[in-house]
Amino acid sequence: MAALLAVEPADYSPAMASAKQQATTDEATLIARAKHSDARAFESLYRAHVDRVYGLCLRMTGNVSEAEDCTQEAFIQVWNKLARFRGDSSFATWIHRIAVNAVLGRMRKSRREQDRIQLATGASTSPASIGDTANLRDLSDAIDRLPRGARHVFVLYAVYGYSHEEAGNMLGIATGTSKAQLHRARRLLAQQLKQEGFDV
Amino acid sequence: MNEKHEDRLMRDAGRLTTRISPERDLWPDIATAIAEQGGSRRTPMLAQAAAVILLVAASSGVTYLAVNGDQPPAEFVPSNLIFKQANFGGQYQLGPDYQDARSHLVSRLDRALARLSPDARAGVENNLQVIRDAINDINGALEQEPDNALLQDLLLSTYHQELRVMRNVGGLTHRVMSRNDI
Repeated sequence: MAALLAVEPADYSPAMASAKQQATTDEATLIARAKHSDARAFESLYRAHVDRVYGLCLRMTGNVSEAEDCTQEAFIQVWNKLARFRGDSSFATWIHRIAVNAVLGRMRKSRREQDRIQLATGASTSPASIGDTANLRDLSDAIDRLPRGARHVFVLYAVYGYSHEEAGNMLGIATGTSKAQLHRARRLLAQQLKQEGFDV
Repeated sequence: MNEKHEDRLMRDAGRLTTRISPERDLWPDIATAIAEQGGSRRTPMLAQAAAVILLVAASSGVTYLAVNGDQPPAEFVPSNLIFKQANFGGQYQLGPDYQDARSHLVSRLDRALARLSPDARAGVENNLQVIRDAINDINGALEQEPDNALLQDLLLSTYHQELRVMRNVGGLTHRVMSRNDI
């Protein structure tokens, strides 16, 4: 998760570490309660994680409606599978895996992916308009136009900071395939940005 | 694209927003969905809890109820109907969730019975019939005396017997029935 660690504040202090530990403890309590069908506790978990899950779904699908559906599907799956969560990975990572599966499952079931690409080309609903700073929006748009396989790897590896091994596990592909897709994504991104007049 | 530009591309990608708030609140739909699925998700846990309730109270009267030869043969009472008629009194609040959990066990029992020989199945069904007749009789008595502790104990003991039969058929309740901490 190098990319995520990189955005932590420079003045990361023991007090902050303590707060983080407290948050982890609170989360463990919420998870335990949710495992016993406490919907209110589960809602708290949802509120804490929805932005990252929705962000991932939006980056992977490039479509607001699809991302909303995938996010909802992911959290329903989380609820159903919560008893199996044993803490081997962080809860956030575990949810991300489920969200990735929700996206992949949805794309497998529908043939709307090609339509999505066509829509995204001229649509104003791209993820870029939602949270990125202005100078990153072109990159975000370019990512959104990548072919599915390359886009998924690029989002997981370059945006969310997962390793190739983690990305491969989430996507059900070999580590080498993940590397190859990343290389492809970089090349396509460079071409796109160059065509649009950016210095690459 | 040279190495420098590739590094910049990856660096920029790492700066993209990872937290994006949905434009609308997605929770209500999720809450509705999990509420609809709640029963099936909770079944194993509730089944265990139900068995615990039964075992805690099961202490006496089992033999009397299980082999009540004085009663005339009664019509077979569907297991779900037993619970619709049940009056558990003030001490034991066995509500719809318990019924759902038990229904789940009963449905599994039905599958286990289907794998038995006709003779064996008939034997099990006869035993269950005796027990369910007893449950029905006690429920009738509890309607008159809902707070009668003895009747409550007898009722729960009888449910214990029913679960024991289920366990003997397919090991259905083996895990919860074998607990020795209750």
